[in-house]
Amino acid sequence: MIKSYKLRRIVSNTLIYALLIILGIIWISPFVYLVMHSFRAEGLIAVDYLVPREWTFQNYIDLFTGAGGSASINFPKWFLNTLIVAIFSCIIATVSVLMVSYAFSRLRFKSRKKFMNVGMILGMFPGFMTMIAIYYLLKAMNLTGTLVALVICYSCGAGLGFQISKGFFDTVPRALDEAATIDGATKNQIFWKIILPMSKPIVVYTVLTSFIGPWTDFILAKIIMGDNIEYYTVAIGLQKMLSNDFINTYYKQFLAGSVIVAVPITLLFLKMQKYYVEGVTAGGVKG
Amino acid sequence: MKKILAILMAGVLTATAFAGCGEGASNTGSDSGSGSSQGSQAAGIDSAVVDYKYFGEEDNVKLKVWAPDAAVSLIKQQIEEFKKTYSEKTFDITVIAQGESDAATQMLNDASVAADVFGLPSDQLNKLVDAGVIAPVAKGFVDYVTSSNSEDTIKAGTLKNSKGEDTLYAYPETNDNGYYLVYDNTVVTAEDAKTLEGTLEACKKANKKFIFDAGDGFYACTFAFTGGVKIDGLEDGITQKFVDYDEDEAVKTLQAFARLIKKYKGTFTSLNVKNVASGFANGTCGAGVDGSWDTAVNMKSLGDKFGAAKLPTINVDGEDKQLVSMFGYKYIGVNGSSKYPASAQILALYLAGEDCQKQRTEELGWGPSNINVQKDPIVTESAVLNAIKDQSLNSCTQVNIASTFWTPMGNLGNKLVADEWDPEDTAATKKLLQDTITNIRDEG
Repeated sequence: MIKSYKLRRIVSNTLIYALLIILGIIWISPFVYLVMHSFRAEGLIAVDYLVPREWTFQNYIDLFTGAGGSASINFPKWFLNTLIVAIFSCIIATVSVLMVSYAFSRLRFKSRKKFMNVGMILGMFPGFMTMIAIYYLLKAMNLTGTLVALVICYSCGAGLGFQISKGFFDTVPRALDEAATIDGATKNQIFWKIILPMSKPIVVYTVLTSFIGPWTDFILAKIIMGDNIEYYTVAIGLQKMLSNDFINTYYKQFLAGSVIVAVPITLLFLKMQKYYVEGVTAGGVKG
Repeated sequence: MKKILAILMAGVLTATAFAGCGEGASNTGSDSGSGSSQGSQAAGIDSAVVDYKYFGEEDNVKLKVWAPDAAVSLIKQQIEEFKKTYSEKTFDITVIAQGESDAATQMLNDASVAADVFGLPSDQLNKLVDAGVIAPVAKGFVDYVTSSNSEDTIKAGTLKNSKGEDTLYAYPETNDNGYYLVYDNTVVTAEDAKTLEGTLEACKKANKKFIFDAGDGFYACTFAFTGGVKIDGLEDGITQKFVDYDEDEAVKTLQAFARLIKKYKGTFTSLNVKNVASGFANGTCGAGVDGSWDTAVNMKSLGDKFGAAKLPTINVDGEDKQLVSMFGYKYIGVNGSSKYPASAQILALYLAGEDCQKQRTEELGWGPSNINVQKDPIVTESAVLNAIKDQSLNSCTQVNIASTFWTPMGNLGNKLVADEWDPEDTAATKKLLQDTITNIRDEG
């Protein structure tokens, strides 16, 4: 047994940090591999060493100039598609999530509890369960293979994800609402002018999650887009690059593309990060 | 007011949904109608270009074609020619890159939005026929297609229809869907390439890899086939049948493979075939087993050093045995729910015709199924096509294969190449073989 408190702290800290470093390395190594090999010049597909022998920026250039030789692979177009879908679904989804959460948090109406339960239960089913049904409904409306269909899919069900935001709104003191009501504000005004400005962290969270969705979703986009390769999103497009027809020419561009995909998400996150800290509700009510 | 609006909107939505269904149903009805009427006008043709009467009433034809990416630009040119040939009709034909390996899956997902005319490998035919999504070759065209393509491709493309009659379901397109030995001729000589031992020894000397994808049932079945465990169609339409084989002989062959793999550990590497071209490009691979679909990229990686041969032999108890592979064909199929069934048939016939096949051989190196093109010097003098042809004589046809076939075969391959596998353990090898067969036949 180590007697000295200082020594004990050093030993335990060393152990903890050693463990954390190991975990960190395991976690980050795929990213390191991805980024490093996206700059690899030699070879065609995966290689069994970590550090590339020759470095180049060519994979990125090829990715955007379409130098790979196939007319089907059009990464810039896919990127734009995804960006459009992400922006629109982000706006619609954020607004609908926040409104639903506000309604459940602040308003009292008949069968509010029941609705919340139904929402919870529906939300528990995995999204791909209804995929085939969604596909045929969209087909009936002549929407398959269009970006509109994707926006509809990503944003229309978003309201069901109200739990976290509702939890957040519940922590905002009701006294604020009451004060605003006394001053003559309607429920609508309270939502937009009082609650929203105080809930920046949750707004940011909702924006981020609904923006990331379209970049990462694969199954639904694949089903809806089918062979309409022009309207692919990056997720299915990148997977297409790995199919038998393309992998030999496009593997390194695929790595470059995967790195590029992280850019808009990172930018958005950096931009919005400061609001995470800012929107503190405490202190809103005095004495 | 709001409530009324909501009810109205819900009503409109439901109506749209039902309207869609109605349309779909009526389409299928008219399709099957025109399909059968076309079947009755069996007159017979003598070239890939047919009389206008075969179009029936169809004009302003809108068709979608799926072709593998490498062939897209050529197919587009051929379709321009097709339009010129039938200049009295108007066409709107789009070509979309869709890998053949995925064709059946995409077709089965939703045939009504899939391509009207599409390329597919032979083993997907039975799935498509069972699901009823592929239209048989139009009756008037069958005789011509049968007489102009090699017998094997016709045989493999002929399946029983729902009434139990033999029906040709697709237009043969290639006679080359198999794998062969591809090597760097500065590492492996043509003489070395005759035997597996020689090939491995040469690669080992040069400190390069021999790549064979033992974990993929498509390649790993070579182990079993070489030992005499060959497939023989399906029983009751689902269970894989095997020919009568000598189990001891098969076990001996598997052991011979395992011994070689062990002896040349580090040289014999089980990797995805895509690593062959990559390995040639960076100089780590000396030889490998790869298929016709990668010929172009392998040639590009190796340049002058490109060598091709049929699969080598393996020495089993002093006797050189030829490796037996899986070999298939590619076809052009017509979607059973095409809105323009007659035009789709005519286009498929055209694309699978002699001229188009010859162009694809010249530009893409595909092995033709058309008997006239097969006699062309461009085919008879091609090292790759000869290697494929030689190998096809020692092969099992990739048709009528149970879906349970691939995984157990891949498992067999994985076991044989595993470090801990003991090639001398006869009992274990025998059990492995028996288990594989049981799993394939799903009797376990």
